Amino acid sequence: MTESADIAVEVVGLGKNYGAVTALKSVSFSIESGKYYALLGPSGGGKTTLLRLIGGFLRPSAGRVYLHGAEVSHLPPNRRPTSMVFQNYALFPHMTVERNVAYGLKLLRVPAGDIRDRVDRMLAMVGLEGYNRRMPHELSGGQQQRVQLARSLVLERDILLLDEPLASLDARLRKDMCLELKRIQEKVGITFIHVTHNQEEALTVADRIAIIADGELVEEGTARDVYETPDKRFTAEFIGDNNVLEGAVAAVFDGRVALDIGFAKVEVPAPPAPVPTGARAAFSIRSELLRIAGRGEDMGASWQVVPAEYVEDVYLGLTVSHLVRLPDGTEAVARQMSGESDGNRFEAGQEVAVGWPTDRARLHLA
Amino acid sequence: MTSAADNSPPPARRSRELPAPPARWRRYLGENGIQRWVFYIPVVFFVLFFAAPMALTVVWSVFERTQFWMEPGFTLFAYDNFFTSARAENYLYSMLHAAAAVLISFVIGFPIAVFIRRRVTRAAQHRVILLFILPFMISELVRVFAMRPVLGRHGVVNSVLMDLGILSEPITAILYSPLGVIIGDVMSFLPFMIFAGFLALEAVQNYIFEVCDDLGAGRVRLFADIVLPLAAPGIFAGSVFIFVNSMGVALVPTLLGGPGAVNAGLIANQAIVALDFPLAMAISTIMIFTLVLLLYIGHRLFDLTKILEPIS
Ligand SMILES: Nc1ncnc2c1ncn2[C@@H]1O[C@H](COP(=O)(O)OP(=O)(O)OP(=O)(O)O)[C@@H](O)[C@H]1O
Ligand SMILES: [Mg+2]
Repeated sequence: MTESADIAVEVVGLGKNYGAVTALKSVSFSIESGKYYALLGPSGGGKTTLLRLIGGFLRPSAGRVYLHGAEVSHLPPNRRPTSMVFQNYALFPHMTVERNVAYGLKLLRVPAGDIRDRVDRMLAMVGLEGYNRRMPHELSGGQQQRVQLARSLVLERDILLLDEPLASLDARLRKDMCLELKRIQEKVGITFIHVTHNQEEALTVADRIAIIADGELVEEGTARDVYETPDKRFTAEFIGDNNVLEGAVAAVFDGRVALDIGFAKVEVPAPPAPVPTGARAAFSIRSELLRIAGRGEDMGASWQVVPAEYVEDVYLGLTVSHLVRLPDGTEAVARQMSGESDGNRFEAGQEVAVGWPTDRARLHLA
Repeated sequence: MTSAADNSPPPARRSRELPAPPARWRRYLGENGIQRWVFYIPVVFFVLFFAAPMALTVVWSVFERTQFWMEPGFTLFAYDNFFTSARAENYLYSMLHAAAAVLISFVIGFPIAVFIRRRVTRAAQHRVILLFILPFMISELVRVFAMRPVLGRHGVVNSVLMDLGILSEPITAILYSPLGVIIGDVMSFLPFMIFAGFLALEAVQNYIFEVCDDLGAGRVRLFADIVLPLAAPGIFAGSVFIFVNSMGVALVPTLLGGPGAVNAGLIANQAIVALDFPLAMAISTIMIFTLVLLLYIGHRLFDLTKILEPIS
């Protein structure tokens, strides 16, 4: 192949069936070297399958895997430049922390003195100095995952695969570990591929995110792109807290698409791809961009405004969600920082208007 | 006032437990009497059926022998009788044969356990294990007896080997010989090794094997560094079962061992037939101590409490 040297992972038409079950359809994408990459998607979407195909724990039913430009589809896990961190329970229970981390080097017949140095350095890197003699059952879940991390990193292979490494940790610890993972990745500079179904986790750690659902790669981009300007409707529904409204394309004119959503016509920025008039389409707008005002209140020229009926507010700690019902019966959510809300101005059943900045909505063709 | 209020549990909690028994019963059982007595049932059972018989065995072994039974007293005559006759030597041979049966069972049975754990799909594993229980549905007597037409002079093994031209005359050493006893023990008790080995391996997460693939541990390293240490408590448990049964089950040497073949169980049986009860008890006592010693060694080596808790 003719990949430039800084593509760490390239998969081409990768597919996997388990008997009659198709876990992965035909996925192609590539990952730049040294990036923190997240595979995000709903349960059963095929993330683990994809990761295991890259790591060599599964044989593909179709397609190829290239690591640093070399075809590896036929190689076992230990002959690939990858190493895997598993969800849980994957430390050798009968070995101390030190022996767990050293085991891979021992198999490679690294001299004992070197092993000790490298193990100590790696334990320091993951924040576990002095834990050498502990047994795995004497460690917390977070510490066990750090040991796993050290065991993989000490091999100095340059692609690290992590399959829901934080799934069994509590929310608080998960947050800390996310930042820790990110810090370690930046320090060692190798490629991390991190599977998770938790969007917050993915947004925290990843430079780039791929959305995987139903055995397909839905969308792929920087964390910010995927969150702020998703291309696909699925992404908008999956990440963040978006309102999605459906309609038909009524007209296309200078950079705008007029969408007929039944009870109103709204303008949405046109995507780069051509939009046929009359096509079914949807648009999404993040709930924190939605604003509620009294009927007839002016929001400004660059805003789209539709009528609605106020339903209720839900206090969520950091934010407050205001629920409104649109004339066609669908509900929409407007989110506000709790501190910012100057008390709730509206009552259930009250006629209101909801608006959003025109250029922040995204059109999704079916 | 306050301390009384502190000690009594809040009424809401009590009502969540068992419904309060009627007053008549409450008098006998107390507040949470039922739970307390249920807890003692296993203890009573253990004392009645395990501890007491064993204690009596030891006590009776030093009683005086009478013509048909025994009477209280203290004499080491039975032990003297045991150690100064051929019985002691036979007992040692019995231990040796039992050890051989354990070794062979490990060599055959443990790989089977590993195979089932590693190569059989998860859903089918327990069904395969159940297959190895089937022989236990057949009376031990029939099962052991059935080996005679297999291993005998004109048995299946010999006829097949002779028909294939591998042998020119039948091997007679495999029946009515110490070898026959060992084969019989292995055939009878092999499933214990498979069960215990499998249970120990079942507690090992699949991830562990995948980590080994990732690190590049070959078959030999995987077996020596990971599988064997993790399964060691289970292997030990299976070994103790096989050892004890090989020593104690008199049926095998009786049916397969030929003249003069004995194991510890058969020696005790013979003593009972001869109405020498103290001797039978002495032999049993020696067996108990042999076993306790084995368990102690095993515990020091493997920490037997691990057998009962899944390795986490
Ligand atoms: N060994 C297997 N045999 C049969 N089907 C399987 C097997 N492993 C996975 N599947 C199926 O393949 C699909 C994708 O599974 P996969 O484990 O890759 O999903 P995932 O995205 O990792 O989900 P999760 O977030 O729940 O871990 C699922 O429908 C699953 O049921
Ligand atoms: Mg998964």
